[in-house]
Amino acid sequence: MTGPGAADLEIPRGRLVRSRVGVASALRAAFSRELTGYARIEPDSLLADGEPGVITFAEGVPRAAYCERSAGRGERGGDSHELGRGDRPVGSDSRGVDALAALAGPGPCSVELYELPADTLVTVHDAPEFSVPPGAPAEQLADDPALADRTRERAPDDAHDGDASALESFLEDEERIAAIQKEARAEAEQRAEEWGLDGELE
Amino acid sequence: MVEALAVASGKGGVGKTTSTLALGMALADEYDVTVVDADTGMANLCFHTGLADADTTLQDLLLADSNAAVEDAVYDRFGLSLVPCGTSLAAFRDADPTRLRTVIAELAADTDVLLLDSAAALGSQSAVLPLVLADRTVVVLQPTIPSLSDGLKVQEYARSYGTETAGVLFNRVQDDAAIDRVAEQAERYFGGPTLATVPESDAARAARRAGEPLLAYAPDAAAATAYRRAADGLDLQDGDEDAVADRFRSAVIPEPP
Repeated sequence: MTGPGAADLEIPRGRLVRSRVGVASALRAAFSRELTGYARIEPDSLLADGEPGVITFAEGVPRAAYCERSAGRGERGGDSHELGRGDRPVGSDSRGVDALAALAGPGPCSVELYELPADTLVTVHDAPEFSVPPGAPAEQLADDPALADRTRERAPDDAHDGDASALESFLEDEERIAAIQKEARAEAEQRAEEWGLDGELE
Repeated sequence: MVEALAVASGKGGVGKTTSTLALGMALADEYDVTVVDADTGMANLCFHTGLADADTTLQDLLLADSNAAVEDAVYDRFGLSLVPCGTSLAAFRDADPTRLRTVIAELAADTDVLLLDSAAALGSQSAVLPLVLADRTVVVLQPTIPSLSDGLKVQEYARSYGTETAGVLFNRVQDDAAIDRVAEQAERYFGGPTLATVPESDAARAARRAGEPLLAYAPDAAAATAYRRAADGLDLQDGDEDAVADRFRSAVIPEPP
């Protein structure tokens, strides 16, 4: 583990303000209600690497992201949503733009929005390894460039402006891309049969 | 010589029709080019080319009881042969997508390059047919994860029908610094080279409002230059036009249920 001690990066469980929405409507809702708190994102995709994650917000602007990679899925009831904490091996989670890449891609998600007092998020928002560009979640998870623009306009001047890109992180993940290709091929072949095009398959 | 290219994206809003027309106009300096609006469910080529009031369109050709000849739906504009598609929902409902095959076969017999502006979604037989019929695809992408994911998906659909990727085009690019790295990474997963990275362009939006292709409306715009570069990078492949026409005609597709 690098950066701040993991124990410091704990987000207390917030007050649930919205549940069972898709990523796009969750980000729009967080923006319009100027949410300070977090979104817990649970991919519904059948893709093997669809893991839950968290995006935190300050006044509706995304600030930090974290995605679990392997262990712990569905077993994290507890009193908090912890960032980078637990028994999983080092390197099995993802943070910042890498977390956005892990959360992005095809398939629907269920999202819950939680509200928290701003002071509980200060430590997380001050940790560069979790930081995300303000417009990146809207662009990369919700495919909503207009929301991304509005979010950037509201973001403070000192918001993340690093070079790292969620898209580059996504493209580095060969296994994930192979899974997308495999799923698309299977879907194409199944639909070819439904449409009477299976005779055209190679 | 003829090569049929499907211009595809997997999602809307990436500038697919703008790209199709721009590639077509750039290729028309050297080739006889026909552009077909094969996105029959969400036709919009007519709005990019001032043909919104065209009397006869692809939609008419796809109706089972149509008396229209293919040539009736071909309009010579901007140095291209354009086959727009109407936007009537009733006609879309009544259309027989399998007739696209014979229409394409007839068009292929009389042109060098066929560009099929394909549907953004992959949810129906009519949306997938251009990928089945084309020799190769040009995949139009925006540099975002959703667009790349959908582009990979459309490539896989096309490949399952033996249609390989001729190249990819990054459109509406805002971050010039990162795009070269992204394009280089993406080339590992796409079958063809990155043909060009086209900057986000006010000229493209203005051209659309004016009902003209970008290369006619603003030929000196940076985006127009990038599209010409993309066309130069397309390594068109000679095909036997009779063989291509036969291929389109020969495959048998059952009637939709």
